[in-house]
Amino acid sequence: MTTNHDPQLLGAYVLGVLDEREARAVEDHLASCSRCHADLAELRAMEEAMGDVPPEALLDGPPEGGDLLLQRTLRQVRSERGGQLRRRQVGLGLVAAAVAAVVLGGGFAVGRGTAPDVGAIPQTSTAPAPPAGTKLGSATDPDTGARMTVQVKPAAGWVRVNASVAGIEQNEKCRLFVVAKDGRRAEAGSWLVSAAGEKDGTNLDGSALIAPEDVAAIEVRNFDDERIVTVPV
Amino acid sequence: MAALWSRKREAAADEALIRSLYEEHGRALLAYATRLTGDRAAAEDVVQETLVRAWRHPDTLVNGKGSVRGWLLTVARNIVTDRFRAKAARPQEVAETPTTPPVERDHADSVVDSMVVLEALDRLSSDHRDVLMEIYFRGRSVTEAAEALGVPPGTVKSRSHYALRALRETFVGQQVALKGVAG
Repeated sequence: MTTNHDPQLLGAYVLGVLDEREARAVEDHLASCSRCHADLAELRAMEEAMGDVPPEALLDGPPEGGDLLLQRTLRQVRSERGGQLRRRQVGLGLVAAAVAAVVLGGGFAVGRGTAPDVGAIPQTSTAPAPPAGTKLGSATDPDTGARMTVQVKPAAGWVRVNASVAGIEQNEKCRLFVVAKDGRRAEAGSWLVSAAGEKDGTNLDGSALIAPEDVAAIEVRNFDDERIVTVPV
Repeated sequence: MAALWSRKREAAADEALIRSLYEEHGRALLAYATRLTGDRAAAEDVVQETLVRAWRHPDTLVNGKGSVRGWLLTVARNIVTDRFRAKAARPQEVAETPTTPPVERDHADSVVDSMVVLEALDRLSSDHRDVLMEIYFRGRSVTEAAEALGVPPGTVKSRSHYALRALRETFVGQQVALKGVAG
C-alpha cells in the first residue's frame, strides 16, 4: 500500500475533523497498520468518555443574572448555621447578631430556602417552580448608588416580592413598596440596614395587595419618604 | 470573646466558600440544571441546593477544579432526578411538558467517567486543552480552530492528536485510582 504511516492524524480522525480525502487516507492506512489500529481503539474510547461530559461542564465563571440565587443560597447557609448555633447555645443571645442578615418584611415570608433541620439527612427543599408571570428586574439608582434586584411572583390578586438590596448605608431605615400603575403604593416590608447589609446587601421577602397585572415597580424608600431605588418590572 | 470571634470567622468562611463555588462553577451548574429541568427557576433551586450540600460536606471538595465541578454537577443531576421522581409519584402535579423531558438516571460508571474526564482535562497543558475545547466541545472545524488559536491547520491536527493521547493517559491513571477507592 502507498499509505504513509502518520499517526499524528489519528486524533483528528477520531475527533471527526478531517476532511473526506484525509479521512479516507487514514482509513486506508488503518486497514494495513496494526499499531495504528490499536491506537485508534484507545483514542476512540477516550473520545467516547469525553462525550459523557455535559457541554455545560466546561463553562466558567458565575451565571448571568444569578444575583438573587447567590443571595438566597447565602441566606440558607446563614440560617442553617444559625440553627446549629441555636442548638449549641440555647439561651445565649449572641446568635441573633451573627445571623442578622435576613429581614422579613410585612410580617411573613414566603417559603423559599427554609432551613432544613441540621443533622437530619440532607433533603432537597421542594420549593415549587415560580408561577408563570414571575417578573425579574434590576436597577441602580444614579443618585443614591443603591442597587436592587427583584423577583415579583403573582398570587391570586396580590404579589410576593423577593428583593436583594445593596449599596445603602448602615443604619438607614428602609421600606419596600410595591408601586401600582395608578401610582398607588403598598408596603411590602421594612428593615434597618446592618453593617453586613451595607457590605453585602440585604435579601428580603415580602408581599403586597396589588394585583400582579397592576404592578409597575418595586421601590425602596427611607422613613422620610425619600426614594432610594426603584426597579420597574 | 474568643468563642464569638471564631463563630464569626466560621460564618465568614461559609460565605467565602459559597461565593467562590458560585463564582467559579455557577455558570456551568446553572446551564446544566437549566437544560435538565427545562426551567430556569427550577434550575436555580437545584443550584442553590447543590451549593448548600457542598457547604455541608466540605470534605468532598478536594483539590482540582475538575473534580470539584464533577462532584457539583453530579449532585445537581441527582437532585433533578430525585425531584422528577418525587413528582412522578404524585399524580396530582402538573404533567411534564415537552420542554421538561424526563431525566434518566446516569449509569454510575458514566458519571464517574465524566468526572474523571473533567479532571483529566483540567490537568492538560493549556495548548492541549484549548485545542480540544475548540474542535470537540465547541464543534469547530480545523480551519476555524486554527484561526481561533492562531496556529496553522496542520498544528491543530497534530496537537489534537497529542492532546487526546495525553488526556487518555491521565484519564486511565485517574480512573484506576478513583475506582480503586470507590470499589
